[in-house]
Amino acid sequence: MMKITKRLYSYYMVWPALLIYCIFFVLPAVIGLGYSFTDWRLDRATLHFNGWDNFRTIFTDDTLMLALKNTLIFAVVTVVGKNVIGIALAVALNAKLKSRNALRAIYYAPSILSIMVISIVFTPMLRADGVINKVLDFVGLHSWNQSWLTDPSIVILTVCAVSIWQSAGFQMAIYLAGLQSISKEYYEAATIDGAGGWKSFMNITLPLLLPAININVMLTLIGGLKVFSEVFVLTGGGPGNASQVVGTIILRSFGEGSWGLGTAINTLLFVAVTIISIPLLMFMRRKEVAE
Amino acid sequence: MQSKTKRTSALLLASALAVSLTACGSNSGSNAGSGGGSSASSGSGGKVTIELAISKSSQDSAFVNEDLLKKFEDQTNIHVNLQLLPAEQTTTVLQTKLAVGDTPDLVQYNLAGADSDLNLSRNFEILDNEAWTSRILNKDVLSADGHVYSFHVSQDTGMQGVVYNKDIFKELGLSIPKNYDEFLAVCEKIKAKGITPIFMPFKDAWATNIWPSAALADYASKSDPNLWQDLNSGKRKWSDVPELETIVNQQYDLFKKGYTNADVLSDSYDMAVGKFLDKEVAMMFMGDWLIQDVVNKDSNMHLGLFPIPYADNVKMGASPMGGQLFIPKKSKHMAEAKKFLDFLASQEVAQQIVNEQKYVSNFNDVKSPELPEYKQEIVDNYITPKNTVTTMEAYMLVDYTEMYRDYQDVYAGSKSAKEAIAAWDKKFQQLMKDKGIAGFN
Repeated sequence: MMKITKRLYSYYMVWPALLIYCIFFVLPAVIGLGYSFTDWRLDRATLHFNGWDNFRTIFTDDTLMLALKNTLIFAVVTVVGKNVIGIALAVALNAKLKSRNALRAIYYAPSILSIMVISIVFTPMLRADGVINKVLDFVGLHSWNQSWLTDPSIVILTVCAVSIWQSAGFQMAIYLAGLQSISKEYYEAATIDGAGGWKSFMNITLPLLLPAININVMLTLIGGLKVFSEVFVLTGGGPGNASQVVGTIILRSFGEGSWGLGTAINTLLFVAVTIISIPLLMFMRRKEVAE
Repeated sequence: MQSKTKRTSALLLASALAVSLTACGSNSGSNAGSGGGSSASSGSGGKVTIELAISKSSQDSAFVNEDLLKKFEDQTNIHVNLQLLPAEQTTTVLQTKLAVGDTPDLVQYNLAGADSDLNLSRNFEILDNEAWTSRILNKDVLSADGHVYSFHVSQDTGMQGVVYNKDIFKELGLSIPKNYDEFLAVCEKIKAKGITPIFMPFKDAWATNIWPSAALADYASKSDPNLWQDLNSGKRKWSDVPELETIVNQQYDLFKKGYTNADVLSDSYDMAVGKFLDKEVAMMFMGDWLIQDVVNKDSNMHLGLFPIPYADNVKMGASPMGGQLFIPKKSKHMAEAKKFLDFLASQEVAQQIVNEQKYVSNFNDVKSPELPEYKQEIVDNYITPKNTVTTMEAYMLVDYTEMYRDYQDVYAGSKSAKEAIAAWDKKFQQLMKDKGIAGFN
């Protein structure tokens, strides 16, 4: 492309913003990295470097390992759930329905609710004697009844479900935008060639939707790995520690006064997010096709 | 070329997102000091301002009553400035203030917490030799390691035991159970009448601890006086105390036998008042503050308190007291801060506070006012005859919320009592070691 526009603003204009970003984001992150190798505690006058001690503690502590496992479960389940349901909703509401604007608004609505409100609504519904079990009873599925929030073996999945319910509508909105940028001509051509609905979805919709999928998968994955509020308000990490995730464990460590350990867990989370998301991003970028 | 730039910028964006993560977390530790940090300053006209740091949730405390502070200022020309700290961050903010030397002149906090969270002996002034100390009736509620560290006009620390509905007991002809077997019999009779004998709000993990904490303290005071010392020096583990397992199992058996609400892990403490008002439940393991909350809603409710019936002849559990005033060693206006305590301790002011708050007075020259019926009973039957025992919390040197969570696991069915105690042992070892306490490494 020919260079015809002269830049109006010099690159120097970026400095103030960059400076603020560095002071308030990058610097604390780097300092945090240093602190994660110390025995920093509030009731201690001096702090010492203790090498990998904090990380050794993390990998030998049952609760912390459980929290790591729960975080991964949450990330995987919600990435799949939010995106599959998000695409399904988007495709359905991209069709010419009379009520589609209303339906889009309804499905989008949960994502603008505060998680506090959602927790207040869902907690009584998820009780053993709550609405959800009653509905299951009513349709003859008594055997499906669960102590949704108090059974340690399923509690993290319950939290996943609530999170998917809340945010699938938001993913839908991004997918809708993606769908609308796909030219109708492809579908016309496919129909003439005799492709059915499923075939054109697999061969036209999905490939051309990849940029939206990339964005959504990255957003939900990073959001899933740093999950905190959903768990905090619905279960507080309980019963016992059954639904602890890395985010709530960090809070707990700080509460116990183990600042060095808390920072170390934080560092670990940062590394994990980086290691998982950057290769994934590069992989998915390569799959994108130009329209 | 263009796609490469795109890819690089995407990478940058992703790492920026990831970096923003850690930044969030590590900030939370260090920004605490900035809250409410106006430092003490002396005015020109001899007027001195002292800073009193207090949790926002305690802002109705009798010691910081506006009229009282004004009276103090008129008398002494010392202005007390309140630093209200956000409730959920009180500990963190105080820890930070003490660590960096931005110290208030007075702190309102609870003694047991100050000992475990704020490093009492390093940070706070010993008050053994103050004039008011000699008039104190019960020094224990203000002391740690044999020294008076804190100030309060009340000696009522809040009692912990079994809150029960007297009317239901009267109706069914029941008397206060004196041991575990009698307690089971009482539960059976209440259950037969279609009333839930015990309410367990164990969604709130701390509520699991009322029974074990009071029972273990009673056991220690009678049969095992070195228990706390041994636990805190690493000489014994919690698993080495078979009685604790028995005590935890006793409480769990009540749930197993169906004497409680069905879904104990879903019900929370804030439902308790309603359950008592509706006469849905007859008993609950809790502090007497619950009784006050129920009576405030309906003065026709007759509730009482009896000790945790885990064995014979149990003493009433006394919570370590909260809401005391402390003077940090690094206070910039030590003399003025002490003057404030003298003012509160003066017979006239102390009497006024005790009357207004219906406290059980802790000064030999201040009379306790007429108390609510349930409180008078507790005073007559337990406090005056010194038939109380301070609960476990008072002896803990580290954060013990993890213990509650392990108890919760028992009710979730994922751990036995033995396993729960073993899990707590492991956590306790680590916390004590991190705190650098001798005997743990």
